[in-house]
Amino acid sequence: MEQDVLFAIDNSEDMEELLENQEVQTEKYLLFTSAQLLFGVSSEYVVEIITHHAITKLPLVPDYIKGIINLRGQIIPIVDTRTLLGYSGEHNECTIILNINDTLVGILIDSVLKMIDIEKDSIRIDPAQKTQGLVSGICSLPDKQTMLVFDCVQILNQP
Amino acid sequence: MSANNDSLLEAYLFETNSLLEQLDNLVLEAEEKDSFSEDDINTIFRIMHTIKGSSAMMEYNSLMTIAHRVEDLFSIIRDTSIDIVPEEKRSDLFDLLFQSIDFFRQEIDHLQNAEPLTDNIDSLLQKINTFIQQIQGKDTAEGSAEGAAQAAPETPAIPTPSVDPQFPYGLHVFFDEDCGMENLRAFMLVNEIRSFCQEDSFTFEPKGVESDPSTAAEIIEKGFLLCFVRQEDRDSAIHTVTESGFVRTYQTVDCEPVETPPAAPAETVSKAPAAQSAPQKEAPKSTAPSQDNNRHHKESLISVNLSKLDQLAAVVGEIVITESMVSSSPDLKGLKLDTFMKSARQLRKLTDELQDVSMSLRMVPVSSTFQKMHRIVRDMCKKLGKEVKLTLVGEDTEVDKTIVDSIADPIMHIVRNSMDHGIEDTEEERINAGKNPVGEIILSARHTGSEVIIEIIDDGRGVNYDAVLKKAINNGIAYPDVEYSHRDILGFLMEPGFSTNTEVTEFSGRGVGMDVVKRNVEDVGGVINITSEPGQGMTTTLKIPLTMAIMDGMEVAVGTYTFTIPIHNIRQSFKITTNDIIHDASGGEVFKCMGEFYPVVRMRDLFQMDEGVTDVQDGILMWLESGDLSYCLFVDKLCGEQQVVVKPLPSYLNTFNIKRSGIAGCTIMGDGNISIILDVANLYKP
Repeated sequence: MEQDVLFAIDNSEDMEELLENQEVQTEKYLLFTSAQLLFGVSSEYVVEIITHHAITKLPLVPDYIKGIINLRGQIIPIVDTRTLLGYSGEHNECTIILNINDTLVGILIDSVLKMIDIEKDSIRIDPAQKTQGLVSGICSLPDKQTMLVFDCVQILNQP
Repeated sequence: MSANNDSLLEAYLFETNSLLEQLDNLVLEAEEKDSFSEDDINTIFRIMHTIKGSSAMMEYNSLMTIAHRVEDLFSIIRDTSIDIVPEEKRSDLFDLLFQSIDFFRQEIDHLQNAEPLTDNIDSLLQKINTFIQQIQGKDTAEGSAEGAAQAAPETPAIPTPSVDPQFPYGLHVFFDEDCGMENLRAFMLVNEIRSFCQEDSFTFEPKGVESDPSTAAEIIEKGFLLCFVRQEDRDSAIHTVTESGFVRTYQTVDCEPVETPPAAPAETVSKAPAAQSAPQKEAPKSTAPSQDNNRHHKESLISVNLSKLDQLAAVVGEIVITESMVSSSPDLKGLKLDTFMKSARQLRKLTDELQDVSMSLRMVPVSSTFQKMHRIVRDMCKKLGKEVKLTLVGEDTEVDKTIVDSIADPIMHIVRNSMDHGIEDTEEERINAGKNPVGEIILSARHTGSEVIIEIIDDGRGVNYDAVLKKAINNGIAYPDVEYSHRDILGFLMEPGFSTNTEVTEFSGRGVGMDVVKRNVEDVGGVINITSEPGQGMTTTLKIPLTMAIMDGMEVAVGTYTFTIPIHNIRQSFKITTNDIIHDASGGEVFKCMGEFYPVVRMRDLFQMDEGVTDVQDGILMWLESGDLSYCLFVDKLCGEQQVVVKPLPSYLNTFNIKRSGIAGCTIMGDGNISIILDVANLYKP
């Protein structure tokens, strides 16, 4: 799975170099929702999407750490995005496993929508800095919706 | 070469390290006898030779130069006898060797840390040279024969050029231009060939490649000629030649009467006609055993990167878990599957075996760590003017590699302490105390089930309880007016801040106290314990788990959480009633057991969980112990005993200081769920 993603990126980069003059640079984003917000995470980080995985709770950790899961022998911590964003309530049991600088982290979200190509230039800086630093930019989609760019690296730097 | 430079360097470091270790032991043993046996001399010569050769290959000049000079020195000793070194010079010889070994070690350290090598080797070189001159000055006739004597060992087994038709298959090798050290490179080829070809079924030209640098020029000019009796040997040799670096080209030469420059042998003869006959007799002895050793090593030992073994152990751990997931799958309930069950049993047997094997791969004997202590004892004896004998017991005991590495420093520190503070300063003191004038330190290792027990016993003056207590009070660790037991006082020795600067000597007290030793031992899940009888000495006992990767654990539940408690920490478990709990003044709960009182720790409160039983009658009390710490943990229920594979928690969680709060790691249970392993020593702080 991870391999596939990597290949895809390699190819797209090659393509980009070839077609640099004709086309604008694009990047693949995975769209998902959490607490009624539409997020996009760069496919570079995405390892896989799992559903309904049993989470083992950990004591003495902040609320937003839901616990750890056993993904084929690997122990992966799970971060709840909804709690991080300051919302409460139940989730659909959908988890995106991210590889952020060689650290595997799962983020608990509401639901995964689709993959889309986004022009790199169309991403703007988020004007309202209220989202706990989880959003690194903002971007309008062709279907008039607005996507918040999920800042993966910030997950590692949470207090 | 640059492409596989890393693996070359790794191989070089590994080889040189093991050679140095061998050398260290050999010299220590020899020093005890105050003489070198013929075998010793040959071995040292061979070791130096190998170091020289491989250092030259790696272009580490400082190492090569020193190895070369030590080799020269031993070549002289070998060709005459150890008697060339007068009795009174022997200790200088040993010191010189130890200095050289230290130098090599230091350079190897530099290499390992990717630091530049020492350039300034003049003083050591000077010492060796002076020594060579001294022993040569004593016997000038032998001295002048040096050059020839070095060349001689290679000649005897090889027939003279006149019998060349016996070697009809020639191989002419040319080395890269400017590759340097052509003679040594040629010799390494010869060494390689010896590993598959018998000494008398091949010959090479020029002869003195091993020790005569002047042959380098000859090789550059005319190439290096190898001749074989059989064609197969030559074919394998071609293989060797093409594999080795620095070979520019080679050429086969068939059935031609080989023209050999008679210069090399003639030179040897003319230089030292007298010395020729003597070394000839000795040389076959020296080359034969070394060859045997090499061949043996090549076949039976390989070095494997530790990370690969870790990976293997991890995968095997997964297989074991998956196996039990498959064979105890709930889907199989109620089905009568004879063949399946038979195969499943077979699979379980095999996975168990696989697990044992993968564990045993990581096991190494403690002997290498123990052997190092010889050197420390020796050096400290010299420095402190004490006479101490080190006895090793059970050096063959095998322990996990990571554990061996992590206990080397603690053991060294304890031995140093014993040498420095334990053993009496003077012989008279020992004789007056009715002891053998020679002090003794015993280092022993033995297995007990899942632990290895290492004891460091000295027969010195033991711990002076009053002095230790006084110092502890001075340093603010202990309170005056409080009465402490001997056990408490020994505990102060391992408190941080006990070791102070007032007592710094060259060896102990380099700012590293027993507290660091204690921490190191505890880091690998071990326990340290000191006992001492004043006047009789001190015994330090380290109890260390055989491996950190697998352990026996007890599964306990608190609400929906599952925790694993290491079995070796569990003393007992009790079903109790409310009346058994005694409340102390500060509202804490205490449980009385076997005449002692232990604090009761509720898991639920400790980890601030909002589930789990609160009524003591519904749960169970576990009496846990780790080191000196002992307490009772209250949990909901016991779920059963299980062998678990310890996995570290994701590094991401380290930011929450989870390790310090008593969680050692986690493990995957048979059903795929995760259980958290508790660290009994850190779970509760009184």
